Amino acid sequence: MNILVVEDEPKAGNYLLNGLQELGYCVTLARDGADGLHQALEHDFDVIVLDVMMPKMDGWEVLRRLRKEADTPVLFLTARDDIADRIKGLELGADDYLIKPFSFAELVARLRTLTRRGPTREEEQLHVDDLQIDVLKRRITRAGVRITLTNKEFALLHLFATHQGEVLSRSMIASRVWDMNFDSDTNVVDVAVRRLRLKIDDPFQLKLIHSVRGIGYRFDTQP
Amino acid sequence: MNGLRHSLTLRLALVFALLAFVSLTLLGVALYRDLERELIHRDDAALITRIDQLRTFLNDSNTLELIKSKPALFQNMMGNREALLTITPPGGKPLLVVNPGNLPLPSLAPVPMDHKLGLSDVQHYPGVDGVPFSAVAANIDSGDMGALQVVTGRLMTERTALLASYRLNVYLFASVAAVLLALSGYWLVHRGLLPVRRLARHAHGIDVGNLGERLDSHGAPQELLPMIDAFNAMLDRLGRGFAQLSQVSTDMAHELRTPINNLLGETQVALQQDRSLDAYQQLLASNVEELERLARMLDSMLFLARTDPSSALKQRQQLDAADEMQRMADYFEGPAADVGIHIQACGSGVIWAEPMLLRRALANLCANAIKYGAPDSELLIDATPCAEGIRLSVRNHGPTIPAEHLPRLFERFYRVDQSRERSANSNGLGLSIVATIMQLHNGTCSANSLDGLTSFELVFPARRQGE
Repeated sequence: MNILVVEDEPKAGNYLLNGLQELGYCVTLARDGADGLHQALEHDFDVIVLDVMMPKMDGWEVLRRLRKEADTPVLFLTARDDIADRIKGLELGADDYLIKPFSFAELVARLRTLTRRGPTREEEQLHVDDLQIDVLKRRITRAGVRITLTNKEFALLHLFATHQGEVLSRSMIASRVWDMNFDSDTNVVDVAVRRLRLKIDDPFQLKLIHSVRGIGYRFDTQP
Repeated sequence: MNGLRHSLTLRLALVFALLAFVSLTLLGVALYRDLERELIHRDDAALITRIDQLRTFLNDSNTLELIKSKPALFQNMMGNREALLTITPPGGKPLLVVNPGNLPLPSLAPVPMDHKLGLSDVQHYPGVDGVPFSAVAANIDSGDMGALQVVTGRLMTERTALLASYRLNVYLFASVAAVLLALSGYWLVHRGLLPVRRLARHAHGIDVGNLGERLDSHGAPQELLPMIDAFNAMLDRLGRGFAQLSQVSTDMAHELRTPINNLLGETQVALQQDRSLDAYQQLLASNVEELERLARMLDSMLFLARTDPSSALKQRQQLDAADEMQRMADYFEGPAADVGIHIQACGSGVIWAEPMLLRRALANLCANAIKYGAPDSELLIDATPCAEGIRLSVRNHGPTIPAEHLPRLFERFYRVDQSRERSANSNGLGLSIVATIMQLHNGTCSANSLDGLTSFELVFPARRQGE
């Protein structure tokens, strides 16, 4: 995946470049708006991460000019948490936004969503190692053993299974499973994951749910 | 024009001037009309007197002889150019014509001899160059010469001049009075507004440093008292708000100390010597925790600083109360079960609210209820329609909150137990966020704690027509 990052703040630019490269993406970093626009028009990117607050040519201007020629998905980063700002970005043709400070895992998850081409077909049967999930019948077995889950535990497991190998942040999990779109001070997600582990991981040799320190959780057959 | 609209003093002075000019001019015009009528009366009476005199005079034949022989004498007697006198015998040429001003001779029907002359017999003509001309004609018995026809008239030059000067005086006096009144009005209003300027100077001196100062109503005119009171009340409100705001800033700075101190200390200690990879990872993970805490606090502060309710109100929806209560029960099921609390959700009706804000408020209340709830007890989440709209309550068993803390629970950074260690999961803003959310919805929130049962209640107003 080809990603263009337009960010004038040196530290932020560097960590975005390193972080995304380490995940195996091909990343180009532009350190100001004019360069960013030039790069975006010259090369073919799958997605563009655009900082709004930049000297000289700001993100809005870059977006406005870019949209005249290309419809590359754009995720903008803003430090201003007001609704008018977000609406402006989306009206100019941005596809998504993140408010600073944001978690890196959240950024990666959003970028994956933006570049996922076409509507994702809902799988009826999911298999992860010896775990089988029948989505329609809501039936789960692991190594032939039937496991009973509550509704929310099932929703959490389904989320994990459909994002295998990805690091999911706590706020993303809270948002997808309970529709709670805010960072809460509670440990609801941790408790729910612990309870899910009790049922699907603890009795078995191979662990599927892994904690990623400081970020969230990853569901994978690889440790 | 702009100055006219904005300066009260100038405007009042001009109004004074206009009123003075108009009223004095009207008075002058009325008096002028009166005078004019009197003068006409006097002049007409003079003409009639002359005819009466001639009636007596011409009876004498000597006089007639005198007229015939020395007409110049009569001309001189008449004296001035305004007078007109003709004496004509019946069917002959005029005996005497005194007309120094060459006035046009009017043709008048003479008043018969036996008729006594009255004011109505005097005829008025437009005259020459706008100067009115009055005349009267009469038949006079002169004995041997028969009935003489006498016409006497007068051009009213003197009267016209007198009236013109009177008119001029009226306008002159009215104008002078208007100017005088304008000046005195200007001065009076200027003086009358002195207290306003004094207040303005005083208000100008009030700044954040001396917000406690109030405008002095001593010696101010009665009309200004309501304004001074209102202004002082406004200062009271601003002062309270300002004190609260600076308290919040101070509190926030103190709250930031803990996570920043942790970050700084842990990182500095870690850098003291070479450590294992695992130690570094642990440090970074701990840093992330502290930073997330800072980010959450920042988020909360920005949320609380939001002053524009319209955007939140625009996104309100009719939400099923039972669904929302169940969602809360599902969300907190795990953490509650950890401490043996059973959540019971029930409710009916609809909530007119912005979904995310409603959930955030309820989640904050539930998180508190679980944190402070007694182990192995029940947490009740309930929605009941009421007169204003719908009442949501979160009730838990646990230690009673002393009554003196209840009114202050919704303040920012307020904690019942000040010595309680500040945990990573609490930043002292949860309930103030609830209060702000309720304020955004024009709703109310309240807390109650009695005999080991603590309950928080939110009242959301029902959707009104047109919303």
